[in-house]
Amino acid sequence: MADSSPSANLLLLLLISSLYWLFTPGSAFLIDRDHNTSSAPLEPHFTECISREQETFRCWWSPGSYHNLSSPGALRVFYLKKDSPTSEWKECPEYIHSNRECFFDVNHTSVWIPYCMQLRGENVTYFNEDDCFTVENIVRPDPPVSLSWTLLNISPSGLSYDVMVNWEPPPSADVDAGWMRIEYEIQYRERNTTNWEALEMQPHTQQTIYGLHIGKDYEVHIRCRMVAFTKFGEFSDSIFIEVTEIPTKESTIPFTLVLVLGIVGILILIMLIVITQQHRLMMVLLPPVPAPKIKGIDSELLKKGKLDELNFILTGGGMGGLPTYAPDFYQDEPWVEFIEVDGEDGDSGEREDNRASDTQRLLGLPHPVSHHMNMGCSNAISFPDDDSGRASCYNPDLPEQDTLMLMATLLPGQPEEEEASFDVEERAPASSERSLVQAQTGGPQTWVNTDFYAQVSNVMPSGGVVLSPGQQLRIQESTSATEEETQKGKEDEDSKETEEQKQKELQFQLLVVDPEGSGYTTESNVRQISTPPSSGEGYQTIHPQPVETKPAATMEDNQSPYILPDSPQSQFFSPVADYTVVQELDSHHSLLLNPPPNQSPPPCLPQHPLKAPMPVGYITPDLLGNLSP
Amino acid sequence: MHTMAVIQRSVWALLLWPSLLTVSMPLDCKEEQGSLSGCTSISQEKLLDRVIHHAELIYRVSEESCSLFEEMFLPFPLQLQSSQAGYACITKALPMPSSKSEIQQISDKWLLHSVLMLVQSWIEPLVYLQTTMDRYDHAPDMLLNKTKWVSDKLISLEQGVVVLIKKMLDEGMLATTYSEQGLFQSDVQPEMLESVMRDYTLLSCFKKDAHKMETFLKLLKCRQTDKYNCP
Repeated sequence: MADSSPSANLLLLLLISSLYWLFTPGSAFLIDRDHNTSSAPLEPHFTECISREQETFRCWWSPGSYHNLSSPGALRVFYLKKDSPTSEWKECPEYIHSNRECFFDVNHTSVWIPYCMQLRGENVTYFNEDDCFTVENIVRPDPPVSLSWTLLNISPSGLSYDVMVNWEPPPSADVDAGWMRIEYEIQYRERNTTNWEALEMQPHTQQTIYGLHIGKDYEVHIRCRMVAFTKFGEFSDSIFIEVTEIPTKESTIPFTLVLVLGIVGILILIMLIVITQQHRLMMVLLPPVPAPKIKGIDSELLKKGKLDELNFILTGGGMGGLPTYAPDFYQDEPWVEFIEVDGEDGDSGEREDNRASDTQRLLGLPHPVSHHMNMGCSNAISFPDDDSGRASCYNPDLPEQDTLMLMATLLPGQPEEEEASFDVEERAPASSERSLVQAQTGGPQTWVNTDFYAQVSNVMPSGGVVLSPGQQLRIQESTSATEEETQKGKEDEDSKETEEQKQKELQFQLLVVDPEGSGYTTESNVRQISTPPSSGEGYQTIHPQPVETKPAATMEDNQSPYILPDSPQSQFFSPVADYTVVQELDSHHSLLLNPPPNQSPPPCLPQHPLKAPMPVGYITPDLLGNLSP
Repeated sequence: MHTMAVIQRSVWALLLWPSLLTVSMPLDCKEEQGSLSGCTSISQEKLLDRVIHHAELIYRVSEESCSLFEEMFLPFPLQLQSSQAGYACITKALPMPSSKSEIQQISDKWLLHSVLMLVQSWIEPLVYLQTTMDRYDHAPDMLLNKTKWVSDKLISLEQGVVVLIKKMLDEGMLATTYSEQGLFQSDVQPEMLESVMRDYTLLSCFKKDAHKMETFLKLLKCRQTDKYNCP
C-alpha cells in the first residue's frame, strides 16, 4: 500500500501535467471551442480536420498570430499514425497551400487508428501540435441531395396540411455497402423567421412533416451524421414548401346532390304515373277475364237468382232487341241458318201455360206471351246491352234485323249450371215477343241424335217456320224463300208474321244458339209446333228433342199444344238431312230443294257431340259426318 | 442357442440403427426443413443479419456508455484523452485491416476471423469493467446496466460469429482465447482517477472496436449479396 501510493501520486501528477499541456489553445479544434482570446499569441494551429466519407480526410491549419508564417511552406504538417509502437512522424502527403490544407488520400487514411498532427516551422519544432484523432470520429458526411416534397393530405378544416419530404443520401458516402451508417435530421422553419424546428433523427431517406399551415412559406433543409457519432455534416440546400388555398371539393358535392335529387324525382314521377294510371295499367297487366254473358244482357242477370229479369229481357221486355251479333258473325257461312222465332201470342192460356211449362221445363224459355209486352219495338226486343250500349229499341231493316235469332250451332258439353238452372226455373217470363228462344238442353243427353242444322222446310202462316230434318222437302212459300235467302242472317219477324203457318209434318230440328256467342251454344232438337193458322203469330216451339226418356216424357205430356208429326222416337231413326241445296224456284216462289242425300243414320250420334270438340257456332257437314260412326 | 442370440442382437441392431444415426449426429443442425430434432435451423443470411444487428446494438450502447462515463466521471479537460487512449488500446496488436482499400483486399474468411478475434478479446475486459465500476461510489445504474448489457451481448455475438464461421467457412469451433488477460490481473488497487482513466480508455477502445466489428460485418454482408460493388 505504501509502495503504491508514491507511484500513484507520480502518475497522477504526470497526468495532470499532461492535461495542462493538452489544454492549450492549439488543440482547440478537437473540442470545438472558440479561442479568439488575445491573451496569448496565437500559435499556428490546426483549425479542423474533416473526413467526408471515412476514406480520406483533410486538415486545415492557421498560422495564428504569427503572420510571418502564413506564407506557404513556412509551416509544414507532420502526422503520426499510431498503428505500431515504432511509427514515426511523416509529412503531409499532399499539400494544398491555397487553402492551407493537407489532404490525406485513400492510401494514407486508416480508420480506427489514431492520428496526431503537428505543425513545424523552420527549425521550430515546438510548434508541436498533438492533435490526435481517429478518422471515424472526424467524419462529417456530405449533405443529402435531391430533396423533394409531396403533399400528403389537408386537414378537414382546410387550415393545415402534412408533407412528405424525400431525399437521397450523399453520393460520397458509401451507404449501400455498409461502410457508413448515416442518420438524418430535418429542420424547417417559416420563411423569414430565425428559429428552425428540428425533427427527430432517423436513418431513412424520407420523413413526414405534420401540421404545416396553409398559406405560409416553409423552408426545409437536412443534415446528416454517422449513426451514434457526434459530428454533423453541412446542411443541404433548402427547399421551399408552400400550399395555397386549394379549391375545395365543392364541385363534387353538388354533383352528388344533383344525382340524388334526380333519382328521387324520377322515382316520384314513376310513382305518380303508376298511381294515376293504375286502372289502365291494371287493364294492361291483368286484362279482365270475360265473363260469360249474353250480348245485350247484363251479366248480373246471369247470376243465380236473377232469372226473372233475364227472362224478361229475353222475351222482349225492356227497350230493344238483341243486337244482331250473330248474323254479322255468320255472314260468311251460307250453310248456317238463322232462325228467328217471334214471340208468340198467347193463344191460349193453357197452351201458353203448357208451352211455357214445356219451354220452361225443357228449354227454359221465357214465357211465350208476347202480346202483352208489345212494346214499341214490334220486331224485336231490345234490351239493355252493356256491351254494345244500345239500350234503345230500334227497327233495323228487315233483313238485317237484329232480333232474336236462333243460331244453329253446335257446342257439345257446355251445359252450364246457370243456364240449366235458369231454364228450369223460368216460369213466368213476361216477354211479349219472344225473340230469342233458347233451347236449353236438360242435359248433354239432349244433344244426342240431333242434327246440327235445320233447314226450313215450311213456313207457317202464322209466321212460324217449319224446319225439317231434311228428309222431306217442303216447298216453301215466299217467306220461306226469303228465309232461305237470309240464310246468312235471320228471319225477321215481319216475314214470319205474314206467313202462314203451314202444316209441318216432319219434325225439325231447331238448333238454338246463344246469340251472345260468348261461348256456349245449346243444341237441341226441337219440335216445331205447327201452330194452327189461328195462332197467327210467330211461334216458338222449341223444346229439346228428347232422347232420353225424361224429356221425352215431358214432351209427350204436352203433346196437345204441339203438333208432332211423328212420334218422337221414330224420328230418331229416320235419316236426317242437314240441309239441302236449293235447286230452283218454282212458280210460287217456293224453293225446290234437292233431295236430301242419303245419310247414314247416326245412331251413335248422341255420343259424339259430347266427345268431339266442336268449333264454336256451327259444324260443317264433314264434321257431322265424323260424328257418326 | 448362440446363433439365436446373435441373430436376435443383429435384428435389434437393424431395428435400432436409425436411432444410432440420430444420436451420432452433431448437435447443431444442418439446414433441413422440418427436422424432428430439437434444434432449430437458421439460414445463413438470417444469421448474418442477426449478427450485424447485434454488432450495431453493441456499438450504440457502448457509445452511450462511453458518453455517460465521460459526463459523469471525467473532468472536462480529460475528455481530450480519448484520442490518446487509442494508443493504449489492448487490441492494438491484432492485425486488422484499417482502411477500405485494405479490407477490399482480404478475404471473407479473414474478415470473419478478425471479427471473431475482436469479439473474443473483449469478453474478458468487459467483465473486468463490471467489477471495477461497481467500486465507484456514485455510478449511475444506467451506466452499469448498459455495460452489463454490452458484456452479455458480446458473448452471444461471439457465439453467433462462431456459428457463422462454421456455416460459411465450414470450419471447426475455435476456443476462446484468454491470452490477453495480463493487463487486468494486477492486484493493485488503482487510484480513483487512474481507474477512471483506465475505464474510460477501456470504454472508448471498446467503442472503437465495436464500430470496427460492425463495419466488418456489414461489408461481409455486402459481399454476400453483391460481390462486385462491395469493398
